[in-house]
Amino acid sequence: MAQPRISAYLPPDIDPTKAALAFGRRALPKLHEELQSPELLTQQRALMALCDLVHDPEKVYEAIALGFLDDLKTLLVHQDQTVRQKTTEVLSVMASHSIGREGLIRRGVVSALTGLLDDPVDICRKNTHQIFDRLAKLPEGAGGVLQAGLISPLVLKLKTELDEIQELILGTLSNCLRVEVSEALAAGAVTVLKEKLSHPSTAIRSKAVWVLLEISSHAEGKIAVCKEEVIPVLLSLLQDTQPEVQVNSTGALMFALVTPQGRSSAMGAEAIPPLLTLVAEETSKARLNAIKTLTLLAELPEGRKTLLDHRDTFQRCVDDPSEAVQRAAEIAITVIDWKP
Amino acid sequence: PSTLEVKRQRRANKQALARRFTLEQIRPGTPEPVKGREHVHVQTELYLEEISDRIIEVDGECQTDDFLDRPPTPLFIPAKTGKDVATQIQEGELFDFDIEVKPILEVLVGKTVEQALLEVMEEEELAQLLSHQRAFAELRNAEFAELQRLEEQDRRIREEKERRRLEHLEKLRKQKETAEKIAARAFAQRYLADLIPSVFNNLHDSGFFYDPIERDIETEFFPWLMSEVEETLQKKVLGRTMLDSLIRMVVEKRLDAFSHPPPSDQTKAPAEEPTATDAAPQVSGEADAADQPIPENKEADQPVAEE
Repeated sequence: MAQPRISAYLPPDIDPTKAALAFGRRALPKLHEELQSPELLTQQRALMALCDLVHDPEKVYEAIALGFLDDLKTLLVHQDQTVRQKTTEVLSVMASHSIGREGLIRRGVVSALTGLLDDPVDICRKNTHQIFDRLAKLPEGAGGVLQAGLISPLVLKLKTELDEIQELILGTLSNCLRVEVSEALAAGAVTVLKEKLSHPSTAIRSKAVWVLLEISSHAEGKIAVCKEEVIPVLLSLLQDTQPEVQVNSTGALMFALVTPQGRSSAMGAEAIPPLLTLVAEETSKARLNAIKTLTLLAELPEGRKTLLDHRDTFQRCVDDPSEAVQRAAEIAITVIDWKP
Repeated sequence: PSTLEVKRQRRANKQALARRFTLEQIRPGTPEPVKGREHVHVQTELYLEEISDRIIEVDGECQTDDFLDRPPTPLFIPAKTGKDVATQIQEGELFDFDIEVKPILEVLVGKTVEQALLEVMEEEELAQLLSHQRAFAELRNAEFAELQRLEEQDRRIREEKERRRLEHLEKLRKQKETAEKIAARAFAQRYLADLIPSVFNNLHDSGFFYDPIERDIETEFFPWLMSEVEETLQKKVLGRTMLDSLIRMVVEKRLDAFSHPPPSDQTKAPAEEPTATDAAPQVSGEADAADQPIPENKEADQPVAEE
């Protein structure tokens, strides 16, 4: 007869690939011991269990306090690919919590991960790049990545890697280059990024333009960008269909046009009409950046002449709900009306 | 009206009557009627009723029978109808998979959905963080670009100012130089304007330009003339010196002579004159041997003396 209890015996281990978790406080110390065991299967099962536990921030804190990171560092160079893959996964989930990030930076896991950049298994590389991406969002993390000298290998990898991994690399680079740009310029980042600007995938294009934006926010970056003739390409991207690409390319232009050479090359490439269309659109996210770029161009005499005719476009921007756009529009009007 | 109500009404009336009687006994009743009038009791209700002391009553009664026990139910055995059929439940046939699997399925689905929800929440959190970061990054970039623009403007203005200042300094320097040059030139001109006449004057004064005849006269004639004049003068001086010495001699002699008894003064005085005049030619005669041009000198002397 049917009974509400399914079976007289308790259910067997539902997931045989995972180690059994001890109860309560004993769970993580037991996993720690299992990780250090010489048997491969135990290690793998412990790693699988750890993967699931690490989503909880409290467990992350406990794990770091127990010293898991040193074991994980040794496991990174294991021959078995499952072990490596799961280790990188554990580290990447840890890196999504702030305690995890701090722990990773303090223990120098970044330098241990440099060896994995050339791993034959795709997932390991993807997880490694994900760790770098999440770490670089912190300023200390970005500093750690820079100190580990990862920029030139990353730039080289941009040319050869898969698309998903390229997105992650571009994200890492954008956060690191905000801090310092000389290494990337030495590795020829601008040329590589210029090719990526014509990639079919939207995410890669928008991220590549974001990296260019970060590069051109530094003085040497601006000079390199002007020298490599990136500005006409950026101007052609202004008419791209995707809004994120538009936003990022206007931002990159905004920084690159601060130098006089940038401004003259932009004027030569007829920058003003597409920027004006972006400003006139009420819902465009690129409005703020476009207004700022036009302000820069309005400091040139020819620019000012052209923009005096379109002054009412800026006047309409003053009524925008966003406060930053209002301020930018007022500054733009002041610059346009300035007489020497 | 039911019997109960009728009964109630009758009771109420009885009570009212009783109350009325008592009240009439306690209170004074209504006053006697006025002459010509009569007080009559009247019923003012909708339905008149006969008020009497005695109510018409009717008694009635009934009674139920005693309760009897219920008799036992007769045994009901339905007639046997239909066919006889037998069945047997085998082992495991009562197992309905759908019903049995439901709890397991619920647990499975629940856990899966819970896991999926957790993951989706994580991703959503990440996406929110990312969008937050993007918004902040945009604002930051905009402000940063503004800062750089202002920096650039400032740098340009400073450079322009520096250039203009240097230009101005250069201009001042050149002006000063030109002014000095002009001053020097004017001064030099003035200086040099005098130069030629002064040079010529100097040369003239130092005797580089000379009239040859004049020079000739000067160099030759005049020295000779002067030497001659000097000679003549010397002669004159000599003569005068001689004369002086003669006179002195004479005077001394005369003195000596006069220191003795003096002869007559008058003869002496004219004698002095001719002796003087004698002495003069004598002197001139004596000097003849020394100087040839004495008569000439005498002649020259006299015109000189006359002069």
